[in-house]
Amino acid sequence: MSAAISEPGVEAAETSVAVKKPSGGGLGRYVLIRFLLIIPTIFILTTLVFFLMRITGDPITAALGGRLTKAQLAERVHAAGYDRPLLVQYFEYLGNLLKGDFGTAVSDGQPVSSILLNYGSATVELVFYALIVAFVIGIPLGMLAAYHRDKAPDAALRVLAILAYATPVFFAGMILKLVFGVFLPILPVAGRGTTETEYIMSGVVAPTRFYIIDAIRIGNFSVLGDVLAHAVLPAIALGLLTAGVFLRLVRTNLIGTLEQQYIDSGRSRGISEYRLVTKHAYRPALIPIVTVMGMQIALMLAGAVLTETTFEWKGLGFKLAEYLTARDFVAVQGIVVFLAVIVAVTNFLVDVIAAFIDPRVRY
Amino acid sequence: MKRRTGAKAVAIAATGALLLSACSTSTTGGDGGDGDGGMLTVGTTDKVVALDPAAAYDNGSSLVEQQVYPYILAYKPGTAELNPSIAESADFTEPTKYEVKLKDGLKYANGNELTSSDVKFSFDRQLKIQDPNGPSSLLGGLKSVETPDDQTVVFNLKRKNDQTWPGVLASAAGPIVDEDVFSPDKVTEDQDIVDGKAFAGPYTIDGFKFNELLTYKANPDYQGYVEPAKTDTVQMKYYSDANNMKLDVQEGTIDVAWRSLSATDIDDLGKNEDLKVHKGPGGEIRYVVYNMDTMPFGAKTDDADEKKALAVRQAMADSVDRQAIASQVYKDTYTPLYSHVPEGLPGADEPLKSAYGDGEGGADVAKAKKTLKDAGVKTPVELNLQYNPDHYGPSSGDEYALVKDQLDKTGLFKVKLQSTEWVQYSKDRTDDVYPMYQLGWFPDYSDADNYLVPFFYDTDETPSFLANHYRDETMNKELNAQSSIADEGKREEALKKIQGQLSEELPTLPLLQGNQIAVSGKDVKGVDDTLDPAFQFRLALLSK
Repeated sequence: MSAAISEPGVEAAETSVAVKKPSGGGLGRYVLIRFLLIIPTIFILTTLVFFLMRITGDPITAALGGRLTKAQLAERVHAAGYDRPLLVQYFEYLGNLLKGDFGTAVSDGQPVSSILLNYGSATVELVFYALIVAFVIGIPLGMLAAYHRDKAPDAALRVLAILAYATPVFFAGMILKLVFGVFLPILPVAGRGTTETEYIMSGVVAPTRFYIIDAIRIGNFSVLGDVLAHAVLPAIALGLLTAGVFLRLVRTNLIGTLEQQYIDSGRSRGISEYRLVTKHAYRPALIPIVTVMGMQIALMLAGAVLTETTFEWKGLGFKLAEYLTARDFVAVQGIVVFLAVIVAVTNFLVDVIAAFIDPRVRY
Repeated sequence: MKRRTGAKAVAIAATGALLLSACSTSTTGGDGGDGDGGMLTVGTTDKVVALDPAAAYDNGSSLVEQQVYPYILAYKPGTAELNPSIAESADFTEPTKYEVKLKDGLKYANGNELTSSDVKFSFDRQLKIQDPNGPSSLLGGLKSVETPDDQTVVFNLKRKNDQTWPGVLASAAGPIVDEDVFSPDKVTEDQDIVDGKAFAGPYTIDGFKFNELLTYKANPDYQGYVEPAKTDTVQMKYYSDANNMKLDVQEGTIDVAWRSLSATDIDDLGKNEDLKVHKGPGGEIRYVVYNMDTMPFGAKTDDADEKKALAVRQAMADSVDRQAIASQVYKDTYTPLYSHVPEGLPGADEPLKSAYGDGEGGADVAKAKKTLKDAGVKTPVELNLQYNPDHYGPSSGDEYALVKDQLDKTGLFKVKLQSTEWVQYSKDRTDDVYPMYQLGWFPDYSDADNYLVPFFYDTDETPSFLANHYRDETMNKELNAQSSIADEGKREEALKKIQGQLSEELPTLPLLQGNQIAVSGKDVKGVDDTLDPAFQFRLALLSK
């Protein structure tokens, strides 16, 4: 699945540099149009999620159907207003969303907005770590592959890249757990920290909920080390896919750049191939990475559900899986809409950054 | 040049991360607590629904309640015997009056006094709130609560000499809460309870991250029956994946793994020399329910015949090998159940053991064949057996595949096995869709009554939980009567008589009794003390 999704993204980005032409529109107009596009995107997504979730009935019956008597269910369904016409509920839901009210989870009574607040940071933190893994692995290896173009290291790295983005996230996670949790138990395999760390974090006054920031803020290096140690395996599991994408992207674009005239003239001046790659060609080859970042972050958020579940990383993906199991559609709906907003906003920001760096994308 | 710099940077970063990791301390390493009692970490996969006792009636929430709230009565560790806890005395003063004298000087961790007013408040609010997730249904026998003075509480009961009432006081419906912190008419938020320090159990809650981590601190002012906490700080870590909990107990990251490791994991951990697997009697039972209307020869089938239907049930009881199911599917984490009341409870008997099969608990095909032949039942009998794959654990499929296999192999039955997911299953079973089907049960309180009355007491006003059309007026009378027999010996006799009658009629077929199982490091003490017929995991007894 991941390969099928990633591959077109790679190709699109690879070709984008060559196809896109400079336009007459300014950055401001481009940003405004891109911003305005967020609204219908989120609206359509929200509508789809709402109606798809209701296909199987009301959230209370779905979550508590097996535990309550028929009379109790009917009473609760009526009290929550789920027996009203669906359109009325839909417009009420939209109205509440505009006020920032995502509803209350049926299965545990938690306000969805507090779930988003408490667990969203963990997911963002995980995606951040995974992006670091993707950059640290993907970019240098992509450069290495381009440097050794069509030679054995290049072939090996291309196979590695295919493996990286063809391996399902949960499978990578299980293998990492098996290796580093069972055979070579040197890294923690569950949670964002030990119980001591969690205890300290639960008592941190006005925390950012980003453990790494909070650990630095309170100056506790023991906790910081623990937090980083716990992040290693989930970050690798989640970051591998994107690392594979980056590797191929950097390789392809670097090879393309190395065929440019200014590089040839550099060669004719006697500059070594290594220096050409690391000093002159890599910068333009990295620009397309920015254009695929938005999609990669969306993929990572999707992958976070599996990664967080595998590693007990208690973020939004973890909670989403829990609520899905509990058939708690109110919570699922809230989390999915929130993630959709994050993806839409991230894509917007990435597009703006790409347009700022490379004026050719403002077509 | 730059390449070297990059490599150096990576090396420095990696070294830094490793050094920082090295700085991090082990959870279980040494004395992490504030006092002499040290610290323990316990893992579980049970979730907490709410800290407010009025809003929760599940294993995970009850576990927390048992640690932090005071109860009027408590079980003596190792037994199912109830004793006054925060009460000085508690007994019937009249057939419908249960009087409780509270101990002097009771108080909550926030300094508030605990008086009879709090007790009345605790029960009144449950009846008022009636949260669908709460245990208010257990208070069906309560008429009203009176408080003649600060130390005295009088429970006015609907039934005379209701012997189940003490069990209710020690159940999920029994925690006493602080009237200055809890709302009288609605569920109180978790954080408000924690912030209000409304605790008077052996522990208080010091830190709470919903279903992630709960930190207990020993309560120095605790005056209940269970001895004061032996460990100052207990961290309860919540897992969603039992595999992760298994890895953590294996690595010593947690000291105790409590519910719910799989049978395979328990078997595997039992081979680890650094760990100990603790087993105790468990309150969970697993059984087959017969729909008396729709089972083969049932009352509403085309070939309805009460005798033949009974013969089918009895022949099935002759044919199942419970020990094989317990060993092969559950690696002996379950034990055979030969009664409708599980072993360990006062009054429990094993009438099915001698009455069916080989008389020693095993199967006997010849006996089953004779039973069917004598009733004139043509074989093989077609059985439509339903089970649920998502509510009673992942091994239900294996359990019922083996039941099918055992029945099919007799040549007397031809079993068609089907499964349905829980929401639909729980609806279908009461809509008479399934002729025979799987169910399981956790007790509300540790009394044989709780395994009998909800299942087999059936009237128009109080239909049974099973809704399987089993109704026997004699049984109704006997069930009603046993709960009012004050003499323990006589009550046990009455309970045994009921079990005997049920073993003949078999409205359900008991199969297995779940053990309580915990896995701990070898240095952890007290685990076995709490795995008793009270079915309560008391953290206060644990230490290392």
